[in-house]
Amino acid sequence: MQSEMLNTFQQSDHELLVKGDSNDIARQEFIKSLKGAIQQQMLPVITNAYYQRALPNYVSEHGKPPEDYTEARVAFEQDPLFKAYLCINRSSQELQWFSVLDPLEENIEALDKASKEIKPSGGTLALEEDFEVPKYVSSIDIHCMPGGYLGPEGAHPLHAGALYDRGVYLYAMGFMGPLNDDMGRSVVNYLKRKYPDFKPKKILDLGCTVGHSTLPYAELFPEAEVHAIDVSDSCLTYAHHRAESLGMPVHFKQANAESTDFEDNSFDLIVSHILLHETSQKAMPKIFNECHRLLKTGGLMVHADLPPFENMDAYMQLILDNETWYNNEPFWTAMRNIDQILLSEKAGFKKEDVYFDTAPMAIMEFANTDTTIPEDEPEDREFVAEEYAPGGGWEVLVAQKKSKVA
Amino acid sequence: MSDTPTSNRTIKGKRPSFFDARGVDYLMHMVMVLSQELSVTRDRLNTLEHLIEDKDLIKRTDFDSYTPDQDCLEEREKNRQALIKNLFSVMDQEAAELVKNDSKERFDEVIAETAKG
Repeated sequence: MQSEMLNTFQQSDHELLVKGDSNDIARQEFIKSLKGAIQQQMLPVITNAYYQRALPNYVSEHGKPPEDYTEARVAFEQDPLFKAYLCINRSSQELQWFSVLDPLEENIEALDKASKEIKPSGGTLALEEDFEVPKYVSSIDIHCMPGGYLGPEGAHPLHAGALYDRGVYLYAMGFMGPLNDDMGRSVVNYLKRKYPDFKPKKILDLGCTVGHSTLPYAELFPEAEVHAIDVSDSCLTYAHHRAESLGMPVHFKQANAESTDFEDNSFDLIVSHILLHETSQKAMPKIFNECHRLLKTGGLMVHADLPPFENMDAYMQLILDNETWYNNEPFWTAMRNIDQILLSEKAGFKKEDVYFDTAPMAIMEFANTDTTIPEDEPEDREFVAEEYAPGGGWEVLVAQKKSKVA
Repeated sequence: MSDTPTSNRTIKGKRPSFFDARGVDYLMHMVMVLSQELSVTRDRLNTLEHLIEDKDLIKRTDFDSYTPDQDCLEEREKNRQALIKNLFSVMDQEAAELVKNDSKERFDEVIAETAKG
């Protein structure tokens, strides 16, 4: 991205989106600008401080450079610029949620009313009574979202979803697209390029939150039946009304991706978007096993998340590892050290049918084509969004089920 | 208008510390809040300037000759109190952690437990 480019991305309105009044929006705009400045202005300064003073000091003391994020943290943790960066980054994250929380609570009744007036679009919502939410979702408010994915106790059923929908847009500084759907859109574009003859009839999105990544599958594979699951009843309730409002028929269901009650061999495509790093060491293999069980022969499993730590230098690892300690992301780093190819093999996929790749960010196509919605047909173009997603795209783990497991 | 913060802003999970002197952490957060509110005000003024220019309603010099009446004084005081409440939100988090007896130890346990399963 050219440094002179001004980020004026704006989130598309829909019947459930709560932004608040002009001052609330100004507060939210400030967060978008601040987060951009932290990445584009502060991070290069921090990086320079690491290489100019922290690294040489570490080398002179230890006789070798830091080999991983743990050693890099030892080298850098006392640096005042690093501390300032961490501190400001934390505040930006807190203020991001707070800037949405107040208008949300003020407008919750209007939101409730709006949800009841939405015209049905053919989707469904199935919630479970006494559903057991995994501990990795309830122990800590992930990414500092007050109340977490379940919402604060006693909150309105639409609360957590509405907070997430606006908050995550700000977190991504608009790079998730006007409908927060860039990850889903990017994966669909990737699949259409890589597998032009692949026409999934039944699709499942795991850990769908508010269904923001789910909707592109319904839009771009209009013949397919699209299902989406999550553990949060609040997020699902919002997701259902949001999808109906946007005219997308999706079947939302409360379920844990580790173990669902869908039938064996029932899906052509199973996807997840930034789900795995918010699960746990024990949950991940179960999710991979479940994907293999649910896929039809020839079906694809695609997990879009951020890249593993191997082949990444110690400093880059450190910057990413900060999310674990400073942004309430308990599994962020541990997940990156897991051999996902091996997990896929253990789940029944053949090693030669599993690989990592980069799904280029659809938003960059969007940014290049002004304000028109990208066409179904993907376009080729240069990827330059290095500031947001490393390498200008979303890391995808792709596995194809070639034969039924014995 | 939601210039009056009313929401519960507590985040479950111990807030990390950054600088050796804890007060600096508070200060950094407060500076961010102040910057945010300044930015809000500038956006609002910018809107006003555009409206004035577009509609030719009042002269820019009217700003300096304006004397606030009682209603206006009260309105401004309310706004300032709200701003100050916002400014103190970082300490509300610590207060809530104390009430809930949340700790760094629990945070570390969750990281370790989650990595295991």
